[in-house]
Amino acid sequence: MSEQNLTISMDRDNRQLKLADEKIAIQVKDWNLFYGKKQALQNITMDLPENRVTAFIGPSGCGKSTLLRCFNRMNDLIDIVRVEGDMTLHGDDMYSKDMDVAALRRRVGMVFQKPNPFPKSIYENVCYGLRLQGISDKQILDETVEWALKGAGLWEEVKDRLNENALGMSGGQQQRLCIARAIAIKPEVLLLDEPTSALDPISTLAIEELIFELKKDFTILIVTHNMQQAARVSDYTAFMYMGDLIEYTDTDSLFTNPQVKRTEDYITGRYG
Amino acid sequence: MNRDEFNNHISEQLNRNLEGLFNQVLEMGGIVEQQLADLNQALENNDEEKAHNVLTLDKLINREEMEIDRLCAAVLARQQPTASDLRLIVMAIRIAVDLERMGDEAVKIANMAIAQCKDDGSCSSLPAFDYLKQLMAASSDMLKTTLNGFSRLDTSKTMEIYHEEERMDEVLKLASQEIQEKLAETNDVETVDIYIKMLLAIRAAERITDHSLNIAESVVYLVRGKDVRQMDEQALAKFLQSE
Repeated sequence: MSEQNLTISMDRDNRQLKLADEKIAIQVKDWNLFYGKKQALQNITMDLPENRVTAFIGPSGCGKSTLLRCFNRMNDLIDIVRVEGDMTLHGDDMYSKDMDVAALRRRVGMVFQKPNPFPKSIYENVCYGLRLQGISDKQILDETVEWALKGAGLWEEVKDRLNENALGMSGGQQQRLCIARAIAIKPEVLLLDEPTSALDPISTLAIEELIFELKKDFTILIVTHNMQQAARVSDYTAFMYMGDLIEYTDTDSLFTNPQVKRTEDYITGRYG
Repeated sequence: MNRDEFNNHISEQLNRNLEGLFNQVLEMGGIVEQQLADLNQALENNDEEKAHNVLTLDKLINREEMEIDRLCAAVLARQQPTASDLRLIVMAIRIAVDLERMGDEAVKIANMAIAQCKDDGSCSSLPAFDYLKQLMAASSDMLKTTLNGFSRLDTSKTMEIYHEEERMDEVLKLASQEIQEKLAETNDVETVDIYIKMLLAIRAAERITDHSLNIAESVVYLVRGKDVRQMDEQALAKFLQSE
């Protein structure tokens, strides 16, 4: 094997990622967010790559969940929130007056910390979003439910009990059901806000494996308190501190050679 | 970057483990230094006992390497270190491998010295002995410098090590040439045998200097987070001067 070939094959196995080579799904520019007078996010500028997993880490109160909620305008539901700056999804201004927020949330799905299935059947949970969109064709619903449950790695476990109440499932299954419900409407971006913090280690690994699979079809943004989880599942990692984006780079670089001392102190657990 | 940073974790357990790892690597390095010192004396004074010391110390060095591997695996499994902590673990494993190989090379040279002592000959009468002395002196100095660099997380002597290693490549060439010329002049089987042992000893001594450079490069990765192994002289010098 020639030296050149050797280099290429090594590259393919574990290629170092570069943001400059990526297609960008969401662009954030000079983003500020205020809760009343208190500023919670300061001048965030970042490009979030398509079909990649980007993790947001940082201590409690650093603004990572606040930023995540900006990506599907969940913060609109809080009266005292005011935002400034630009945020685009595949070029569309997410905060323009013309933007239909419900349509935006169809494009940007979200899964929360605590599994929150509706007190309905497994089947109805998954096709809930489709029914809201007015889709009632049984064949389309059946196909989508199967596709989404397979995508969420749940199909084999539940295919014979689709009509049972979702609340009878285990915590890990419920969370995967919520992921199935989120992907059933085929969003472009999937937001995961601490998706495994209420789950046991095995269910956590199942979800992490699922995240890896799902990035083929979706752009995934995940907030996690578990740094090792960020290191395991993400392609890019953003470290935030007190509302600032301190460092944002490929996960390998961030966890082996961070460039900012505050990042190093945080991820190594040192007194900063 | 300084050593105190490795002692500044919220987890005291991690502080203790990383400090322990530093000390273990330095202890292992100290044994290799002792081994090289004994080897020098064995060669200079035809001291067979000192040559046997080299073999004994090698067993200790092998055990040290296993202990470093065990400690690194334990820290990786239990504490999942990141950033400079992770680089310390990975480099400790690599430095231990280089030190262990240095020990093996020293054993090859010691075996030559023992064989020569048994034949009632002196090493100094062998061709290229002065070159071997040069190589051994450089080996000891380079190892001392690199271990100091590791201990203080100081990369300022890296280029010195780099140049010294290049100089030793040249010494190896000259020494090999001298021995080959002597080999061409003799038909005596026993003499040929001892000349070949000398040739292998000289190669082994040069390999020790290679391992010192490897360690110096590991220290650069540990301190600066950049793998400099494939860099040429100019690029390396430029990188080391940069902030």
